[in-house]
Parts: sequence; C-alpha cells; structure tokens
Amino acid sequence: MRRRILVFTCLLAAVSIVLTAVLIHMAVYRGFAERVMLEMAAESDLIVSAVNLSGVAYLQSISESGSAPRVTLIDRDGRVIFDNGWDASIMENHMNRPEIKQAVEEGIGEDIRFSATISRQTFYRAARLPDGKVLRVAMTTDSVFAPLPRLTLITLAIVTAVFAAAAVIGTRVTRRIVAPINMLNLDRPEENAVYAELAPLLSRMKRQNDIIAEQMDEIRQRQIEFSTMTDNMREGMLLLDDEAHVLSCNRSALELLHANSASPVGKGALTLNRSEPFYLAVERALGGYPAEEMLAVSDKHLRVMANPVRNGDAVCGAVVLLVDVTEREDREKLRREFTANVSHELSTPLTAISGYAEIIANGVAKGEDIPRFAESIYDVTQRLIAIVGDVMALSRLDEGVGSLPQEPVDLDELVNLSIQRTRDIAERMRVSVHYEGGSSEVRGVRRILDEAVMNVIDNAIKYNVEGGSVRVTLERLERDAGEGVEVVFTVSDTGIGIPPDEQERIFERFYRVDRSRCDAVPGTGLGLSIVKHAVKLHNGRIEVKSDGRRGSSVTLRFPA
Amino acid sequence: MRDGYRRRLETLHTELIRMGALCEEAIASAAKGLLDELPEYRERAVKLESEIDAYEREIEALCVKLLFREQPVAGDLRQITSAHKIITDMERIGDQAADIAEISAFMAGSSVKSDIHIADMAKAAIKMLSESVDSFVTGDLEKARGVIESDDIVDDLFSKIKGELIGSIANNPLLGEDCLDLLMIAKYLERIGDHAVNIAEWVVYSITGERKGSA
Repeated sequence: MRRRILVFTCLLAAVSIVLTAVLIHMAVYRGFAERVMLEMAAESDLIVSAVNLSGVAYLQSISESGSAPRVTLIDRDGRVIFDNGWDASIMENHMNRPEIKQAVEEGIGEDIRFSATISRQTFYRAARLPDGKVLRVAMTTDSVFAPLPRLTLITLAIVTAVFAAAAVIGTRVTRRIVAPINMLNLDRPEENAVYAELAPLLSRMKRQNDIIAEQMDEIRQRQIEFSTMTDNMREGMLLLDDEAHVLSCNRSALELLHANSASPVGKGALTLNRSEPFYLAVERALGGYPAEEMLAVSDKHLRVMANPVRNGDAVCGAVVLLVDVTEREDREKLRREFTANVSHELSTPLTAISGYAEIIANGVAKGEDIPRFAESIYDVTQRLIAIVGDVMALSRLDEGVGSLPQEPVDLDELVNLSIQRTRDIAERMRVSVHYEGGSSEVRGVRRILDEAVMNVIDNAIKYNVEGGSVRVTLERLERDAGEGVEVVFTVSDTGIGIPPDEQERIFERFYRVDRSRCDAVPGTGLGLSIVKHAVKLHNGRIEVKSDGRRGSSVTLRFPA
Repeated sequence: MRDGYRRRLETLHTELIRMGALCEEAIASAAKGLLDELPEYRERAVKLESEIDAYEREIEALCVKLLFREQPVAGDLRQITSAHKIITDMERIGDQAADIAEISAFMAGSSVKSDIHIADMAKAAIKMLSESVDSFVTGDLEKARGVIESDDIVDDLFSKIKGELIGSIANNPLLGEDCLDLLMIAKYLERIGDHAVNIAEWVVYSITGERKGSA
C-alpha cells in the first residue's frame, strides 16, 4: 500500500511538471513569433518606403551594415534582381514561393519556413512595389524546437528533484497514515478511534472475534472434558495419526508402558514401546484392520487393542487401548494349575481303588487278602473324601462368607478342641504339644475359624520329626500405633522347616514343600490354602518364619 | 521436497528403533535359551539374526540415499552418520546373540551355569543394551552417558566369571568343555556390553557433536 501511494504521487508530480513545461513553452513561443512578424512588417514597410524614395540603390547601402536583415528584390517574372546575402545571378526563380505569390496577388505576403535544420526558422515578408517588383525581407531566428534540449534537461532536473521530494514526503505521509492502522488493537476492535472509513471493518471484526472466542471456549471445555475423562481411565489410551505419531495420550497409558518421556505428543508411537507386538498392532491398525496383541512390560501383562480411525475410506489414524490384564492372567494361571493338581490328586486314589476292585472282581485275589484290599480301598476313599471336603471348603471360601453369620468366637475354645482332636496323631508321631493362653474372643464365623486353627496345628504335628514338639500360644496384644487390640495365635514346631523362597508358595493350593514326603505324610495340600482364605475373610494376617532347616512358626493375627 | 526429506529422516529413526528392539529381543531370547534351556528361544535368537541383518542393509541404503540426495548438514548429518555407525554395532549384537544361542545348544543339561554368575552378566548386558536403545529413542543424553559409565560393571563380571571358571575346571576337569563354552558366552556378553557403549557414544555424538577423544 505504501509503495502504491509513493509511485502514484511521483507519477502525478512528473506528469504535471512535464505538461506545465510544455504548455508554458508553447505560449511563450507563440508571443515571440507574433512579435517577430510585427517587427518584420514595420521593417519591410520602412525599407519599401526608402526604396520608393531613393530607388534600388538604397538596397546596396543596407547590405553594408552587418545587422541588417536579408533583403531580396524580385522582378515581376520571379527573377531575383538583387539579394544582399547571396549572388543574385545564380538564384533560382522565386515566383513559386508562397509569400511572393501572395504579395503579387494581394500586395503583402508572409510565410514562415524551417531552414535546413528544424532548430532554425526563417520569417519572410514580401511587399509589392509600385513598379510591380516584389521586395522580400527575411529574418532567421531560433525555431520553437531550438530550446528543447535545454528545456528537457531542466524539466528532467526538476522531475528528479520532485521525485526525491515525493519519495521522502510520500514515505512520511504514508507512514503516518498507516501507523494508526498498524496500532489497531484487534482484540478489542470497537475501542479503536481511527479513520471513520475503517469503522465497518472494525465492527465486523468484533463480531468475528466474539464468534471465535465463543468457539474457543467450547473447544477448551470439550478438551477439558476429554482429558478429565481419559486421565481418569484405568485403561491406557493413545490416539495416533496416520504416520503413527502420538496425537494424544492419557496418564494411564504412560504408566502402563513405563514411558518416562514427559510429553510423547508429536513423537512416534515406537518411542513409547518398541516391542514387536505393540509395533504389529499399530501397524495393522494403520493398515486398516483392528488388531489385538498381548504385551509384557516388566512384570505386567497388557492387552493392546488397536483400531483404525477412518475418514471416508482412508485410514487417518488409530486408537490404541491398553488394558492391564496381569491379575486376570495370573488368576488364570493359578486356576490352570489348580485344575491340573485336582485332577492329579483325584486320579491317584481312584486308580488305586480301581486296581483293587479289578483284582477282586476277577477273582484273582485270595480270600484272605480281600479284607486287606478292602481296608486299602477304605483308606484311599477316606483320602478322596478328605480332598473333596477340602476342595468344597475352599470353594465355599472363594464364594465369600458375606452371607455367613458372624458371631463372637473364643479362639481358646477352638485351640483346645483342635489339640484334643489331633491327640491321636500326636501320640503316634510322639510329638508333644504345649499350649499357653487364655480366653480370647474375636468376631467371625465359627466353623471357618475352627478349620483354620485346626489346620495350622495339624500341619505342625504332621510335618514334625519324631519326638519333636509343638508350642501353641494365644494372646491379646496392643497393636503398634494404638490401633486397638489384636488376637495373636502362634504355632511353632521343631519340624522340617520351610525354605525361605518357598514360604510364599505354601499357601497355594496343592503345593507341598517336599514332594518326596508327600506319601509319608497324609494330607491334601489344601490345608494352608484354607487357612489363608479364612484369615483373609476375617481381615487378619499370616506370618511364616523359618530358616529352612529346622523348625518353623506360623502366626495368625486377627483384629479383636 | 523438504517435507519428504523430513519424513525419510523420521523413517530412519523409526527403523532404527525397530532394529534396536529386535536386538533386545535377540539377546533376551539367547539368555532365556541358555538359562532356562528353552530350545524355542534359542531358535528365535538365531532367526532374529537374519532379520537384524536385513534391517542393517535396509537402513544402510536409506542412510546413503539421504546423504547423497539431500546433502544434509549439522544436526541432520550427525544423526545420519551416527545411525550408519549404530547399525554396525547392532548387527554385531545380533550375531553374538545368535552365537550364544548356538553354543548354549551344546550346553543343555550342564550344571556348570548354575554355579557361575552368568545370569547376572546376561542381565547386565541386556540392561545396558536396553538403556542405550532407550537413550537413542528419546534422545536422552544423561542415559547415554550412564551406559558409557556402566561398561565397567560388565567388564568386572567377566573377570569374575573367568575366575570362577578357572576354579571350576581345577575342581572337576571333566567340566572343562562346558566351562570353555561358558567362557565364550561370557566373552560374547562382554562384547555386547561394548557394542551397547558404542551405540551410546554415537547417541552422544548425534546430540552434541562430541566424539570421545580416545575412540
């Protein structure tokens, strides 16, 4: 805009200067030519009257004075009789010259003719003498074009000067005009006090500003809603563009992928996780197909679900969901192991029963052996019943005891009962059992607590060495931070102990520390599992202490 | 045209991440094949080697194409030249992981490895590689320098294992062959650590333009 104003100003100035110069020149020249003609008329009249008085001889005298005009005398037939500048004898016939012709016809003739160059011109005035001859006076002056070179030079100089001035002034002026426009506060267009011509533009701008602000607010609100929603999701969510750059990513996704980069937005998805399954899922989704993969990140299992995002037919990105399935995966693994174990534990006794029964049925067994076989079958069946009973107890615990009635239970009573019930085994193993403790009441389900106490004591006796001892204590203790009282039930034995790295596993179903002893010690492998569940249901805790060589102690803590 | 250049540069980065991930998987598989005696992991490690080689050739071609067509300068030039060097180290890592897998096939059932700290060493080498690839992925200068410094850990473990193996042969000369195999594996792991350090050094170079004087 500034440039256009400048060019326009300069052009205008230049054109007006040139036009003015030309017009002035023309006017001045016109006056000059008229004056010359008048002078010539006067002079020619003078010469004519002089010639009339003193004859042609007068003309001779003119030629001698240097500043005199050129005078030519022409005869009636056009022949030149006399010329004070030229040799009359060699001059051509002048009858055809326009001024002569006019003079012959009208008495006076005038003409202006350019000389050899256009920069000079000659004024002619011819007058008819009384004797019919014609006297012509000629005067040569600069033509209208003569001053042109100088005039052009001067005009150019002026134009250059004007250009310079116009450039300076034009720049200043345009700057001053544009300055307030540049200073416009576009955030608040209506508050500007500039040119009235801009008012409609500004008011339109204000309307648009309002609309934009409104839309921005809406977008921001949506953004907040979106990020609140995604950030509070437990599942990780990633939005990718068609080149697998991260567009958006919630907090869970970063946590699940262990990505420490502060802001993955704009980077490649592979910077978050570069493992094969993740790459495959993303690749497939961007190829237009939904994909699902399992991903292991440190000790966690993640399910990756990637879905293409389409815009029309073209895939323009992908949504990747990450779900932590560690717990489910672990539980499934446990369940598989449990099923395998149950089948094994059940099939062994059943094989034995079937074997004995087959022998008896075939009649191979001798009569006196049959009672022994029957006893074996009975023993094995008892074991089966025990296993099935334990499995059922466990599955009841799995279902939860929310429905079971809770009542105050005195653990002292349960401990005494259990010691009584295990007396037979203890005597057989020659294990002595010592009990210290008094009445300690907890709130809970009597049958389940009984099973837990019984199992712990039973284990301590069964997995003891011959001649060993079991120490049972029951006490009420203040909790550390004054958080009330708890009942602590501890059973210590002098048995085979539990290796430290197996202490976690003894609570698993069917897990037994020493497989080689399994047959020696009757048991289902479910006892401690039942204990664990029972304690958990009563909000208690279990502690196992053993150095793995000799002796171990199991402590159950229940809130009183 | 510049837009295409940016995209190719990014492709280079992505491909390099993929190659790094494959190297990590190769060495993890080799270690699992050795320690847990799982033949399918050994096979996986051997198979990954050829995949890693293919990546090397592809990335090499990409680097050369970028260098000649775009004539990059400054940071971009450093990124491309360091990528060109990194793939050489990664390719070596792939080879060594495959070698470990092959040797460990002969060692199936040997009791030597449980007495030797080879598991610690494998873990340390895997950690180094994984951190050097991490530093490359995120352009993390601190992490790269951490890897360069942790080279001593693997070196120390190597001398420790060497000592243990000498003791083991002295006690039971019949285990000599297994011990030598294990020494080879330890050496390979140590070399993998060195390559991880190299990668980290190239990462430092591509970020700062500094080359370690001694290298």
